Amino acid sequence: MNKIKHYLNSLFLLELMRGLYLTGSHLFKRKITVQYPEEKTPQSHRFRGLHALRRYPNGEERCIACKLCEAVCPANAITIASEAREDGSRRTTQYDIDLTKCIFCGFCEESCPVDSIVETRIFEYHGEKRGDLLLTKSQLLEIGDKFEKDIAADRHEDAKFR
Amino acid sequence: MMSDDQIKIEIDGRKISADKGQMLIEVTDKNDIYIPRFCYHKKLTVAANCRMCLVEVEKAPKPLPACSTPVMDGMKVKTRSKLAIAAQKSVMEFLLINHPLDCPICDQGGECELQDLAMGYGSDVSRYQERKRVVMDKNIGSLIQTDLTRCIHCTRCVRFGEEIAGIRELGATGRGENMEIGTYIKKSVVSEMSGNVIDLCPVGALTSKPFRYSARTWELVQRDTIAPHDSVGSNIHLHIKGDKVMRVVPAENEAINETWISDRDRFSYEAINSDARLHFPMIKEDGVWQQVDWQEALNVIKEKLGNILNQAGPAQLGTLISPTATLEELYLAQKLTRALGSNNIDSRLKQIDFSDQLVTPRFPWLGQSIVDFEENQAALLIGSNLRKDQPIINHRLRKAALNGASVMVLNPIDYEFNFPLDCKIISPPNSITSELSAILKAVIKLSGEKVDTAITKLLKDVTINKTHQTIADTLFNNDDAIVLLGNFTTTHPQLSLLRTLSGEITKLTHSKLGYLSDSVNSSGAWLSGALPHRLTSGSKNSNIGLSSHEMLAQKLKAYLLLAVEPELDCWDTRLAQQAMQDAELVVALTAFQSEALNNYADVLLPIATFTETSGTYINNEGTVQCFNGAVPPQGEARPAWKVLRVLGNSFDVDGFDYESSAEVYDESIKAIGKIEGDNTNQWQLTVTAGTKKQGLQRITETPMNMIDSLTRHATSLQKTNDVADGAIHINSTLAKKNKLSNADDATVEQDKQQVTMKVMVDERVPDNCVLIQSAHPSQIELGAAFGSIKIGKQ
Amino acid sequence: MLETLYHLISQYILLPLTLFVIPVDYQIEAMIFLQTTIKIFAIIIPVLITVAYFTYAERKVIGFIQGRIGPNRVGLFGFRLWGLGQPIADAVKLIVKEIVIPLNANRTLFVIAPILSLAPALAAWAVIPFDDTKVLADINAGLLYVLALTSLAVYGVIIAGWASNSKYAFLGAMRSAAQIVAYEIAMGFALVGVLIAAGSLNLGEIVNAQAGSVVHWFWLPLLPLFVIYFISGVAETNRAPFDVAEGESEIVAGFHVEYSGMAFSVFFMAEYANMILIAVLSALLFFGGWLSPFQGIIYLEDFFSWVPGMFWLLAKTSIFMFLFLWFRATFPRYRYDQIMRLGWKVFIPITIVWLVIVSALVVTNIPPWFS
Repeated sequence: MNKIKHYLNSLFLLELMRGLYLTGSHLFKRKITVQYPEEKTPQSHRFRGLHALRRYPNGEERCIACKLCEAVCPANAITIASEAREDGSRRTTQYDIDLTKCIFCGFCEESCPVDSIVETRIFEYHGEKRGDLLLTKSQLLEIGDKFEKDIAADRHEDAKFR
Repeated sequence: MMSDDQIKIEIDGRKISADKGQMLIEVTDKNDIYIPRFCYHKKLTVAANCRMCLVEVEKAPKPLPACSTPVMDGMKVKTRSKLAIAAQKSVMEFLLINHPLDCPICDQGGECELQDLAMGYGSDVSRYQERKRVVMDKNIGSLIQTDLTRCIHCTRCVRFGEEIAGIRELGATGRGENMEIGTYIKKSVVSEMSGNVIDLCPVGALTSKPFRYSARTWELVQRDTIAPHDSVGSNIHLHIKGDKVMRVVPAENEAINETWISDRDRFSYEAINSDARLHFPMIKEDGVWQQVDWQEALNVIKEKLGNILNQAGPAQLGTLISPTATLEELYLAQKLTRALGSNNIDSRLKQIDFSDQLVTPRFPWLGQSIVDFEENQAALLIGSNLRKDQPIINHRLRKAALNGASVMVLNPIDYEFNFPLDCKIISPPNSITSELSAILKAVIKLSGEKVDTAITKLLKDVTINKTHQTIADTLFNNDDAIVLLGNFTTTHPQLSLLRTLSGEITKLTHSKLGYLSDSVNSSGAWLSGALPHRLTSGSKNSNIGLSSHEMLAQKLKAYLLLAVEPELDCWDTRLAQQAMQDAELVVALTAFQSEALNNYADVLLPIATFTETSGTYINNEGTVQCFNGAVPPQGEARPAWKVLRVLGNSFDVDGFDYESSAEVYDESIKAIGKIEGDNTNQWQLTVTAGTKKQGLQRITETPMNMIDSLTRHATSLQKTNDVADGAIHINSTLAKKNKLSNADDATVEQDKQQVTMKVMVDERVPDNCVLIQSAHPSQIELGAAFGSIKIGKQ
Repeated sequence: MLETLYHLISQYILLPLTLFVIPVDYQIEAMIFLQTTIKIFAIIIPVLITVAYFTYAERKVIGFIQGRIGPNRVGLFGFRLWGLGQPIADAVKLIVKEIVIPLNANRTLFVIAPILSLAPALAAWAVIPFDDTKVLADINAGLLYVLALTSLAVYGVIIAGWASNSKYAFLGAMRSAAQIVAYEIAMGFALVGVLIAAGSLNLGEIVNAQAGSVVHWFWLPLLPLFVIYFISGVAETNRAPFDVAEGESEIVAGFHVEYSGMAFSVFFMAEYANMILIAVLSALLFFGGWLSPFQGIIYLEDFFSWVPGMFWLLAKTSIFMFLFLWFRATFPRYRYDQIMRLGWKVFIPITIVWLVIVSALVVTNIPPWFS
């Protein structure tokens, strides 16, 4: 019986018809395309965009060159060199993020013991040369300084879940 | 059949046999059962104060520490039982009470025993609400960084000081929460092995100062190599990040360095990354240095050296090569020099007396293996600052001394030893021979044997005192005795006499004769034939060339230097400097640039350091140790063996078409043949006692951290006490006589050369002697390492 | 309307042109030549424009089915117009781009291949009747001609694959060849059914044989043949789900992997022109061509009598063209061996059986079709 059913099914192309019905019905459904530059999807405060290095309110950079972000980075996008600074504290001499390698997984942010490296909500940036997408320490700090208010607000909102 | 010393125990259900009297943790370690620990270390005594190794033992009312529980027959141990784990977790919680949470900035992070064990035994949330303990850091020198807040009081460092280094430098003061590790009074840790506490410290309380904050352990790649400083050739691991050597840690080799290395071996890597490194071939044209490519530099050498060889004859070429060079480099250097028609090659830079060179042993052998030192019953050290010169051998001898062996010294300076000496004779350099003669005379009397008439003649006027007699007795009465000729004797103007005297002593007392060589590859240098009088095969060279001192004294037209800074490394520094300045051509293969080299050299060829080249070292006991390059050479530098190979090619010399250093090694080791140390009867019998000079005598020592260009460029080592201070060391009697006191400026005159040096009152120096440390620029002008000297108040 | 335009052009442009320029002896031939050329352009230009907007329609339709809105950015004259400028922009882009010829490719064949695949797709239009009267070449063996030309298209693919000197292109060509051999037979048999039913190879006569009403159209008596014909048509044009010759996920882009710029776009045009051809043939052979669907229905027939026949043909063609897109949006690609099994072991037997049935129907004059 099943065999016959199967045979008839395939002879009259019933399954194909069902498939066509399904796709055909979607033809008339609501379209979900977001017209990007004019419309934007809402962002979470956990959005992982462009990176930034933060400072403490007194202007001291947070990063202590523990290199956990470098170690955890699955794409090896972070390069850090460290030194003992004059005052004896542990600081970076180099903190590069290669955005062409970065996969924006957020592990760096997650691993940071001092909330220094963060990912901001900025995602609209570009580079015209390959080198433009290699962010150096000073660039990262600059981004951090510029958006500190937003960054701090986002961290504050997320704090209760941590 | 199991021997009587073996017992059976059961650990975690496994039946294991163990030696009687072993501690439980030794048995588990041997059987790959892991018990967590902090204070236990296999090379140190058991302290049992961290309590991390608590395990459950059946019938014991409480968990017992595995490190201090001797095994007993039929013992049943559970290392992973509920009780054991609970005990270990509780201990961990206690340890973490006061341990700061600064792992992100701690250099130990990633290789921290506490961090590792906290993963397994720590709880994720602390129950401790109170303030954590804070301990002020102490500055204990330029090598070790302290972060004592992190200390968990395992006392490994304290025990290391007492048991291994032999000086109690670090100790615990206070009790309970107030317990602190520190130096009792504010001072540096000066032990020549102090760096080992960095490895011993299970947490980040003691870390390496030069390495501080420069890398993370997980970024480092480990490569094995051989430390190039003292004559034992300690096995080390290089830790490399990218192309840079970041630090050095010991590699375990029970036959050589156990798990220890000296500070010199540990921290000399800084020189590799030094700013003074020569990165490009340079030539001097009309007094101006120019950076050129290799081809051009080689062309210049070929042209200039070719001219000298053609016009002045090949005998005008002298090759001075450092005994820190690898076997391959030494072999190629002598092959090249000889192929160019010259026999003037020498690596015995610090030697002056070459009169018995034809009867000396094939290489300066230690007389026994390094391990054998632990079994010695008696040892006579002649002219040796063993603790600083060969720290690893000193450690072995210390073990023997602590086990009751009699160690006796005959030294020009009252050097400090970290074990008790049976007797010591401190004598000015020119009377060391007479002291030794007296000992020999006592020995002859004891043995009652007949000796050569030359010897009897020599000993005619010698009087024996009680100390001589004691030394003779001790050597004669102990089965396993050794007489060691230290680094000082090599530089002594009457080396041949010292050799004969000590040789005769060993012969009559049936003890061993050992030479403590001053460089890692001294043995290799002798064996490879980098000597004017011997070929690689060990046979006598029919046409004996000039020795290092003769080369300098005769002012040759061309010099080839390999890793040598003659004005610092040679016996007569002034002569060396002048010879270099007067030479028509000085080609220096060097890893470092220096003002002196810039001054007198004509071509500088950058060569690789020991981390950047493959090579072989043959150590004092004759062990051949090969190693590979771990990092690429900096800049345009090339391994010296390649440079020598290409030099050979550019002079169209046959047999220089090596593809790898392994080919050079194979060829040289084949030519060397069997490496077998033999010091018996290798001294000359026709000797004469030197004339005894009057007045002040100069004594020269090379401080531990000044022995080669690497240590001289290692910044942190240069901040320690074991460097040349450019001062004259005199004892207070002499100082008073000359109305000098500490830190005064004094005029020093030797061979009509006058310089001004600071005064350092040093009671170790015997009367009428002036100790000057070599390899310091201020003393270059003075010249010879020994001789009459005058001092006066400025 | 089209006729008026044609007569105007003939009267006022072509006629004076021939009369004053061409020598008297050849004036008639020249006139016929020029008139035919005008007709050819009148067919080919709309076809090519349709091809261009068919690509646009394809992206739009598939977009809609997938919940997207498709291209909507490139407009005309500064207005967005739902992206209607997209095909033009695409065309300009493809024309401007470089044609890269691989180093070891056979240059001649490499260049000929795309032409070889586009030319038959356009040439077939010569015999397509748009109306009772509007046909470029009203030949008797029209169907045979169409069959011959569509078979030729595969040579373009095979030559492209071989000339590219690339393993992917070659694999694509081999797949395409095997697939077309299989489906050509089924398609041929399906068309044999049509000519048995119509009794003629002339496409105009085949359409006229279906006159009467919707049920008089051949889709009903030849339903299995229609289904097989259309599916084979999809396979012939290498369209999803039979696009193994391209098979992006397996062999990159198949036979045209090495093609770029205009050479690629010629392949592209050939594919779409072929689809339109298959669609128009389906309309002609099985759905009454230009015949009104309301024929034979009182009131409605009269009500729609003003609609020109060409409109009905184009409307029917459009539906089949839409089917192509719908299929592509719906069906996943067949596995290669499944394609072969379907062609050889399912379609060919069914067509043969149905041919016998059709023959029987014809012989026995079964109404309403064969009476």
